[in-house]
Amino acid sequence: MLTYTLRTLARMAVTLFVIVSLVFFATRLSGNPVDFVLGQGITDEDRRLLIAYYGLDGSVWSQYWHYLASIASGEFGLSFLERRPVADIVAERIWPSLKLLLSTLALTISVSVPMGIAAAIYRTRVSGSVIMVLAFLGYAVPNFVLAILLILVLAYWLNWLPVVGDGSVLHFIMPTLVMSGTLIAALTRFTRNAMLDVLGQDYMRTARAKGLPERLVILKHGLRNASITLLSVIGLQIAGLAAAGSVVVESIFAWPGIGELLVRSAITRDYPVLQFGVLAVAIAVIVINALVDLAYAYADPRIRLAKGT
Amino acid sequence: MELKLREGVTFHNGEAMTADDVVFSLNRMYQPTFTPYVVRARDRLGNFAEAVKVDDHTVQIRVKRAEPLWETLLNLQQVMIIPEDYTKGLTGDPKVAEDSDYEAFSLVPVGTGPYKVAEFQPGQKVVYERFDGFWGDKAPLDKATVVRMPETASRITALKTGEADIITNIAPDQLDLINSDPNLKTEGSATALFHVMIMNVNHPNLKDPKIRQAMSLSIDRDLLNEALWLGKAVVPSSHTMEEMGQLHRPDLVTFEYDLDKAKKLLAESSYNGEEIVFDAFPHYYTNGVLAAQAIMEMWAEAGINGKLNVTDKWTGGDPEMMARSWSNPMYFADPFGAFGVMWAPNGPSESEGRFNTDEEYAEIWERFRFNGDVELRNAAYAELMERIKQDPPVLPLYRPFESWGMKSSVNWAPKKGHIPYVLDFRAGSISFN
Repeated sequence: MLTYTLRTLARMAVTLFVIVSLVFFATRLSGNPVDFVLGQGITDEDRRLLIAYYGLDGSVWSQYWHYLASIASGEFGLSFLERRPVADIVAERIWPSLKLLLSTLALTISVSVPMGIAAAIYRTRVSGSVIMVLAFLGYAVPNFVLAILLILVLAYWLNWLPVVGDGSVLHFIMPTLVMSGTLIAALTRFTRNAMLDVLGQDYMRTARAKGLPERLVILKHGLRNASITLLSVIGLQIAGLAAAGSVVVESIFAWPGIGELLVRSAITRDYPVLQFGVLAVAIAVIVINALVDLAYAYADPRIRLAKGT
Repeated sequence: MELKLREGVTFHNGEAMTADDVVFSLNRMYQPTFTPYVVRARDRLGNFAEAVKVDDHTVQIRVKRAEPLWETLLNLQQVMIIPEDYTKGLTGDPKVAEDSDYEAFSLVPVGTGPYKVAEFQPGQKVVYERFDGFWGDKAPLDKATVVRMPETASRITALKTGEADIITNIAPDQLDLINSDPNLKTEGSATALFHVMIMNVNHPNLKDPKIRQAMSLSIDRDLLNEALWLGKAVVPSSHTMEEMGQLHRPDLVTFEYDLDKAKKLLAESSYNGEEIVFDAFPHYYTNGVLAAQAIMEMWAEAGINGKLNVTDKWTGGDPEMMARSWSNPMYFADPFGAFGVMWAPNGPSESEGRFNTDEEYAEIWERFRFNGDVELRNAAYAELMERIKQDPPVLPLYRPFESWGMKSSVNWAPKKGHIPYVLDFRAGSISFN
């Protein structure tokens, strides 16, 4: 187990190093902030002064070296635009995003798993087909359309829900619904397929034969076995959402999250924010993946045993 | 110039404002060491040498040459009065003004105005609270919270649900939606800035002034205004604005639409159908790309082979640049604060290599900038505009119209000449029914 853990940690470190380097060079390739909005209508001399002020005057390699050295000492630098530590900015933003992610996950799992199971069990009946049609529709509606629709009905016409920010529990309802829409549709379909695979297995027949009630057969033997597939799908989806998948939702609901921050930093070429923000998201994704791995091991003793060796 | 300081003025942190604070604040821009201040000061405060304390209530300001724009340039936002000890004490050595002090100050600003900044999260929100120690009329609002909402639809909904009292940046085609609600209304004004087209006078294909004159004359700016701004933008006949008072020059015709003349000049010129590339920012200016697309069609009508290139990169300093979108703000209410900043000899445009001046231009510019007589300044400005007309590097398209939506119960409107991000909530500027 120790070698396994060490190997995982080493792999994480290499992944992070590659990500940090990629972001560093990708941003430098697209020009510096003085080439964009900051550099309009200033003299050449002033342009050089500003480039030096932002620490962008050396060669890319010396900047890179400088950057790695400062990361190693735990310094992530100041935002070009806000002139405050990027760690503060990202910390401010990551918690609202995480809260939205958690509420989205909770809603998604609690809706789509029962729906998927029902769709699998009742696959030959109308109810099963209705669920699949709904899931298909849910998958087809883009989240910004759903967002505008919800705002129109729940806020603009009915005036039931607020649209701006993350101030109260009520503020979570619309963004969570929008973020969950596509996910619920996708996960319902995955649950149904995974359950269909499992339902035909021999051990299901055995479970029934030994006289277990149908409910227990489905939940204990069926869902438990289907959950391995589901976990990997959920893991992937979370990673996608965490990596700035919520940009649209955050913009529409003025949600002070990390996705919107990263996009804005990319547009304004605020490299320090972009670099640290991507690093933070990468760490989050890696941690989530590690948790999913652990959950696998819990769900499937075979994986646990294989990793133990 | 000697200034007598008002007595009993207090900063938001409770300290009394002294002559030392004023001298520190002024010299921060007159003798700047912090790079962003150096850059800001160069094009508009170059004539100001230093501020000196005479006694506890008197400050003397020394200029290099006689200055006709004393009041205007003393009032620049960049030279706002800030507390010396507080600023120096923010980081490092409390006796020295380091760069990091100025950086820190921008996050926890302290001034002497009617509102203090109670909370500030850049890019998200700022909370203003009434400052009870203000020397003048007390602020009418206890608290004002300004929140960033990137989506127009969300802003309008927030206004409708009552989450917001005032919303900013409403496109002209959204105004009816707000005005049709009896509980809501809109206010607007032409912003103190021109969206402009700049042309590179040094590009090999554009060296002949007749080509650039044709590029300018073939653009029907009134049509752009009708189509994109519902006629609410202001199309100028010269590089001039109403707010400039005695120096407002609506009588000058520097820029006009004349398709026939454009065709004629083009025929006389060295132009042979070469492609003329027009660079435009994708999102930076409202209606920017639409205007650029329309300009390509208008050029085609005159026989100019235009090509639109949408890029978020600033190409104004690139020798390959032929024409592009830009803006000329009015930084302060004088032609020097608009045209003068951008098109001065050795100013930004010339320094970027897309505009040339000669001794004659510099001599006219000197008279325009420093003459003490308004009439003589006006005459010099007309000469400058004639130079621009004959060898054009720029065409002001219009002053865009900026709109705000608000509850009908709010009495507030933007002040003339204010840039759109100024929200004047001082006493007398805002009230509620």
